Amino acid sequence: MVRTRNRNDRRRSGLVISKRRFVASVTIPLLLYESLGIFVLGWAFVLMFFDYSPGRLGGPILGLGGSNPFVGLRNFVEMFSGDSVQATLFRTSLRNTIIFAVAVLPLNLAITLPLAWLLESIGNRFKSLYRTIYFLPVLTSSVGVALIWMSMYDPQAGWINAIIRAFGGTPVAWLSDPRAGFANVSIAMWAVIIAYLWQDYGYNMVIFIAALQGVPHELREAALIDGANSWQAFTRITLPLIRPTMLFVCVMTMLSSFQVFDVIQVMTNGGPNNQTQVLMLDIYKSAFRYQNMGWAAAESFVLFLVVMGVTLFQMRVLRTDWEY
Amino acid sequence: MKAKILALLIVLTLVLTACGSKGESAAPEGTIVLRFWVHTNNAFIAGYEAAIAAYEAEHPNVDIQLENFDYELYLQTLQTAMPAGEEADILQLFGTWTSQYYERLTPVPAEVMTVEQAQQTFYAAPIGGFIVDGVLYGMPQEFNMEYGGVLVNKTLYEAAGLTYPPQWRTMDDVIADAQALTQVDETGMMSVAGFHFACADPTAFSFLAGIKQRGGDYWNADHTAFTFNTPEARAQLQFMVDMVNAGVVDPVVFNDSTNFVIDAFFQGKVGIGYIGSWAIALGQTNYPDFADEWDYFYLPPIQGDPVFVADSGWGLTVSPNSQHQDIAWDFVRFVTANPEIAAQWNIASGTIPAMPAVAESPEIAAAMPWVPKALAILPYGEYLGNMPDRDLVVYEIIYPHVLNALQGVETVDQALQAIDTEANSTFR
Amino acid sequence: MAANTLSTPLAQPRKPFGWSRFLGRFLAYFILTLGLSFTLLPFVMMILSSFKTNLEVLRVPPTFWPENFTLENYLKIFNDPQLPLLRFYGNSAFVAVFNVTSTLFTSSLIGYMFAKFEFPGKKILFGWFLTMMMIPTQITMIPSYLILAKLGLINSLWGLVIFSAVDAFGIFMMRQFCETLPNELFDAARIDGAGEWQIYWRIVLPQLGAPLATLGILGFMFNWNAYLWPMIVLQKIEVRTLPIILTWFNSTHTGQGALVMAATVLIIMPILFVFLFFQRWIVQGFTMTGFK
Repeated sequence: MVRTRNRNDRRRSGLVISKRRFVASVTIPLLLYESLGIFVLGWAFVLMFFDYSPGRLGGPILGLGGSNPFVGLRNFVEMFSGDSVQATLFRTSLRNTIIFAVAVLPLNLAITLPLAWLLESIGNRFKSLYRTIYFLPVLTSSVGVALIWMSMYDPQAGWINAIIRAFGGTPVAWLSDPRAGFANVSIAMWAVIIAYLWQDYGYNMVIFIAALQGVPHELREAALIDGANSWQAFTRITLPLIRPTMLFVCVMTMLSSFQVFDVIQVMTNGGPNNQTQVLMLDIYKSAFRYQNMGWAAAESFVLFLVVMGVTLFQMRVLRTDWEY
Repeated sequence: MKAKILALLIVLTLVLTACGSKGESAAPEGTIVLRFWVHTNNAFIAGYEAAIAAYEAEHPNVDIQLENFDYELYLQTLQTAMPAGEEADILQLFGTWTSQYYERLTPVPAEVMTVEQAQQTFYAAPIGGFIVDGVLYGMPQEFNMEYGGVLVNKTLYEAAGLTYPPQWRTMDDVIADAQALTQVDETGMMSVAGFHFACADPTAFSFLAGIKQRGGDYWNADHTAFTFNTPEARAQLQFMVDMVNAGVVDPVVFNDSTNFVIDAFFQGKVGIGYIGSWAIALGQTNYPDFADEWDYFYLPPIQGDPVFVADSGWGLTVSPNSQHQDIAWDFVRFVTANPEIAAQWNIASGTIPAMPAVAESPEIAAAMPWVPKALAILPYGEYLGNMPDRDLVVYEIIYPHVLNALQGVETVDQALQAIDTEANSTFR
Repeated sequence: MAANTLSTPLAQPRKPFGWSRFLGRFLAYFILTLGLSFTLLPFVMMILSSFKTNLEVLRVPPTFWPENFTLENYLKIFNDPQLPLLRFYGNSAFVAVFNVTSTLFTSSLIGYMFAKFEFPGKKILFGWFLTMMMIPTQITMIPSYLILAKLGLINSLWGLVIFSAVDAFGIFMMRQFCETLPNELFDAARIDGAGEWQIYWRIVLPQLGAPLATLGILGFMFNWNAYLWPMIVLQKIEVRTLPIILTWFNSTHTGQGALVMAATVLIIMPILFVFLFFQRWIVQGFTMTGFK
């Protein structure tokens, strides 16, 4: 009895040691690697309080100080109250980013939810073909998407103006006319929004389809039998049941549209007259085109706060929904 | 099944990668390898390759390896490579940029060229930017003249029944020709622009030249601040807006982002296209099938002398981190200050020589017939001036606001006010 | 309320196939097909344009079918010494395969550790990964770039790889799956004398096959299509990945619409077929993880 317990103990302690060894052999390299991550984060945090450009020599530690002076909160003060070109561009970009995100979300839902619902309702072998095709743009590189749409938007030889001409309308310089607009949003912004939506709707569609498949058929059938029409069945039965998915889709769509970059950088590079200059593009240009990295770090921090705020807000809504 | 295909893909990938990444062949013993960075421009690169071949023929122990980067990325590449000491031995440098990062450059050794010698050898505009606080940091290769030069489409001229070659004594003559050249399609969209001047460099530099020709200046007396809100600037901007109103160009359909002047001209969509002569080589390369006849001319001044400002254009310098400074500087001198090589490079790249001696030479006149036309104007060129950030001022401040005024998005006064405020805010 | 209505007898039997039902179906197909054409049309335009001449794509109004069907654009690209497409495919593949392999390894290993082991500092470490998941890349982009510059890894494909070895999201996902694995499985192996690494390799990894495949394909797609970060890091032409080569090609061949469309076809289509093949997994991954 005593001997067995000893042996068990020994074996257990042997196990503990080998487990510890295993944990150590994983965590020690991991911690080393993650310390690089901490260093990066710390640097990002420090950078926004400096007027830093890698072209200047600066001080001895990371090139900070000297000709890259510490400026405290000046970057942030400048952003919201300055009249320099960077400050004006930042405010324009912030406004454009919000316009973009606010326009994309409802349009996306207005396209994806009905289409997903229709697709789910037809239920036959065409379904997977339809879904595959709707999904194609999601799989396509956004640079390719941007180039395809640029050729379609070409003011002279583009297809969109050709269609407008065929119907006797006035052609539009979609990507370069700063004066044209619709609903107080410039036409170039609408043009990039359409291209972005085109690439993106397949993604939310498949998520909605998955959610709709989870809605028990009997519930809907029962409602229909009770004399509800399809619309009532949809709004009263289906919609409440897929609400968590709805909210989730809202968060994800919002987040990715706040960080939009690829399509806009290729199609307009922010033009015309900065009407499609969004925050990520402004950060990229400040940091890498104009080497104004301290300023760009401060801008990214603001974008981070915005994104964080939206996420936290939506998570709160999500959580209350889960409880219910 | 899928796993197998995935495995196959991975194997295929690794094979492809292995094939793709075969290293360059090693240089033979005793060879001095110099790396040489330039921005991507096929005509320029052809010129450099010829110069390298000539140098290597004279110095068989030197191997110069050319690497090129997109213009947009080139500055970024330089500024991040320099702190790490990773940059090439020989660097192509845009003269006007020098003042932005001379801290990381090395002065031209006196035995290669002194400041005084340089000022005598080169035109004022090309050398100006390479000198910061009286120290020379590089050698110019081209007179980067964005002012005044225009491509003229002879075929369109004759179709419109105009006299060719154009006889311009004043800008009014240019505008009259342009109005006759402009075509508008049945939907009201401009299909041929008579006088396309709405791209970034032409707008910015015709704006600055106009200020100068009207007797004004955009610098204050000691070059510490900009003065863009002046009567001369207002008159010039109003003049440019009036040209748009006269119907010579629709700046909404013709600008930097759509119908860039080189592309539009070589697609037959422009009668008179305002662009530096460097565009000629680029257009010929990109549009070999263009059938219309064309030539290159210079515009008359707004008034008085054809005073204008120019950047210090592309030139060469040597990295302070180079192991072979002497050979690198020798190569730079060979390319920039040897009249024969410089002329060859200018012809290959289609640029105006930085040295008066070369610009006036018969071989340049034979290869580039527009250069003799420019000779009368070149001495009036002044250096743009060292700006805290030249690209920011020209591309994010002057051009956008001038374009706004042309497009009617801002009034002339609003545009000038904005340029003045924003440009001055670049001095920190 | 619901119970109440259910208990009432049916007022009338369900209508058999009627006109309204037929009309509804017709309308559904009509709308779906309309959306389908809107989705497909840009692809069709791209492919058709790539077979036109550069002059034909400039014509107003544009032609639909290529008037003179030509392979000239494709031949031009294949014969362009500045555009060794295979090399760029290789670059993209290297980055994608390397990143996917390393994140699959680290995610499964660390996820397993978080799920099945107790050790001091576990909560802190876990919290750190939670934070990393919340921090968007644009915050770390600038210092990461400066570090790469200091290390001399700008213009190196390794620069695209070193910051991506550990993926917080993958760790979460794998931890989730590992928690569902029964402890008896491991204990039995331990009694049989298996070492901890052997257990990870022989028991944990095979169990994680499906989620790893999903994560891997999503990661591959993400890496393959990545644009901003590779654009910043890869400045030299020969080391570039496909999306950046495509924008570079576009900017150096402005005004040659047909040629650019041919390049676009060559760069986006082949991988599109591969993705289509794995589409089921990708869709599954999206719905399971909610990330793209």
